[in-house]
Amino acid sequence: MSKFVREELTVDGVKTVVYSAGKGEPLVLFHGAGTVDGFDFAEPWAEKFRVIVPYHPGFGESGDDPTITDIHDYVMHYLELFDALKVDTMRLVGLSMGGYLAAKFASEHGHRVKKLVLMAPYGLHVPEHPTLDIIATPGEELVPMLVSNFDALKKRLPEKPDMEFIGARYREATSFARLFWEHPTDPKFRRHLHRVKMPTLIVWGDEDKVIPVQQAQTWRGLIPNAEVMVVKGAGHIVQLDKPETVDAIGRFLV
Amino acid sequence: MGAALRFDVMHFMPYVHLPENHKDFKTTWVSFPNKFYDPEKAHELYQRYFEQLILADRLGFDAIVLNEHHNTVYSMMATPSVVASALIPQTKKARICIWGVPPNFMLPNRLAEEYAIMDVMSKGRLEIAFPLGTGMEYWSNPVSPVTAREKFKESLKVMLQAWTADGPTTHQGKFYTYRYLNPWPRPYQKPHPPCYIVGSGSPETIELAAELGFGYSSVFVPQKVAQDLNQRLRARAADFGHTIRPDQLPLLNFVYVAETEEQAEREYIVHLQRFFEDYARSTPQWLAPPGYLSVDQLKIRAAGADKMHGGFDFKAISSAFFIAVGTPEKVANLIGEWTHRMGTNHINSVMHVADMPHWKAVKNMTLFAEQVMPRLRQAGGAQ
Repeated sequence: MSKFVREELTVDGVKTVVYSAGKGEPLVLFHGAGTVDGFDFAEPWAEKFRVIVPYHPGFGESGDDPTITDIHDYVMHYLELFDALKVDTMRLVGLSMGGYLAAKFASEHGHRVKKLVLMAPYGLHVPEHPTLDIIATPGEELVPMLVSNFDALKKRLPEKPDMEFIGARYREATSFARLFWEHPTDPKFRRHLHRVKMPTLIVWGDEDKVIPVQQAQTWRGLIPNAEVMVVKGAGHIVQLDKPETVDAIGRFLV
Repeated sequence: MGAALRFDVMHFMPYVHLPENHKDFKTTWVSFPNKFYDPEKAHELYQRYFEQLILADRLGFDAIVLNEHHNTVYSMMATPSVVASALIPQTKKARICIWGVPPNFMLPNRLAEEYAIMDVMSKGRLEIAFPLGTGMEYWSNPVSPVTAREKFKESLKVMLQAWTADGPTTHQGKFYTYRYLNPWPRPYQKPHPPCYIVGSGSPETIELAAELGFGYSSVFVPQKVAQDLNQRLRARAADFGHTIRPDQLPLLNFVYVAETEEQAEREYIVHLQRFFEDYARSTPQWLAPPGYLSVDQLKIRAAGADKMHGGFDFKAISSAFFIAVGTPEKVANLIGEWTHRMGTNHINSVMHVADMPHWKAVKNMTLFAEQVMPRLRQAGGAQ
């Protein structure tokens, strides 16, 4: 994480922590519902872009905002944050829940997103290839399901039960549940995906145990200018299992 | 106030016909398959439990306490109002306490109506406790644990308005909108039946009880913690201008009385052990769905759970919690000591646990009524 510089802002009264690296056109990365996997993988992109990695309110180092109760509230948060950061147009990359947020943002503010990358995005209800109910899956079962090569994730986990770690995960689960406990997906979301017109890359591990890779085809069918990159041998956190994916995404974004 | 001790019998009405392989299931809640529920056996159990509670009324217990749980063998009272309604015409003097329905699970006007109807039908014998519900109830109902407390509070506000304000009134809140809040049953007791809040020690719950001037009962927290909670409630309620009376602090306890201590332990411990190990068997995840606890509370409880390794230890568990097992004299002494320490005169005793046979429950209640209550009434409770 050497290159990244930490910045703390107040957005709508909520502490918002942003890490940035590099110069050039903005590249924004939206993390997923957990922040354990980190974002150091994005460092190579900083050679060509101004990489901006914000922590969503309710996650990681940012503060809590209990008034954020649906994905659109996060879109509104990011309109404010991008104003504060003087970011107009951008490349946008989203992982899992962050992919849902990125697609939602792109469907509403398409003119600001030059290219979009969705990595195993959350957000669609595909009954024939259902998303794992991550709220109902106990943490100790869920964590090994996130990757194919557990060693890649293991080094980021505490060796012994650690109350701070447990508390941090519970807080992030709470932020996720605040959005999705009663309504895991929004049936209206699909209807607006045709507005995502920029070049879009959908990246998915073919061993994803959380959101099945078959959902990539559903996304491609709904987004007009999308291509799919299936990464063999990768699980849900694609870039941890297959770090070379980062370069491939970098080439798409240029 | 001090001398007027009050004795409640609390019943869980467990479904006792657990399958032989039930230990293969990590829990008997939420996902424990309901194919194991046999309605014919359940019918027999209801008959038996009603007999026990009607007997409690005849024996002179002051109140019968019911509760609500879902998707579990722990309790056959998923909708306790239904059970309470059945008991009302079969009992004469005992108050009927529903401990209770999480108000955020219901349309608040309907819950206010249910309770008002029962209060009228029973000629003012109803009492109500409001629980947030265990974590398990949230996995079993389409209600978010994240906004539970907020919705709980708004629900209570609607209910109190429905009971106390002359209708029609309106309510426009975050969760509920009422254009004509004007329920036709109105409670028999004025301004409304006695209300309590039940909790397991979250500071937010104490705070709400203090603000409303409601009674409070902690459940399944160690003695020392329970004592601190009562003190905290008294102090905080005073800040809101309320004085908490001893009878507003029901003391939940587990009791078994027999001729000798040895006999009491022989007859009882096996059931208490099954209660904790089998009927209350849950998982950390289900006890604390996301948002149900504050992060601080979660860490405190996770650290506590981490320490509770090892098997069932009767001596340890009965000294940590309010559990009195033995002769009438011993049980009376223990309860007397607790009432003074907890500043209460309101004893709420669980007298049937797990798969305890009918005869033991009857014996326990009878000995308690005939030999423990008189001893305690003579001694008096907290002032």
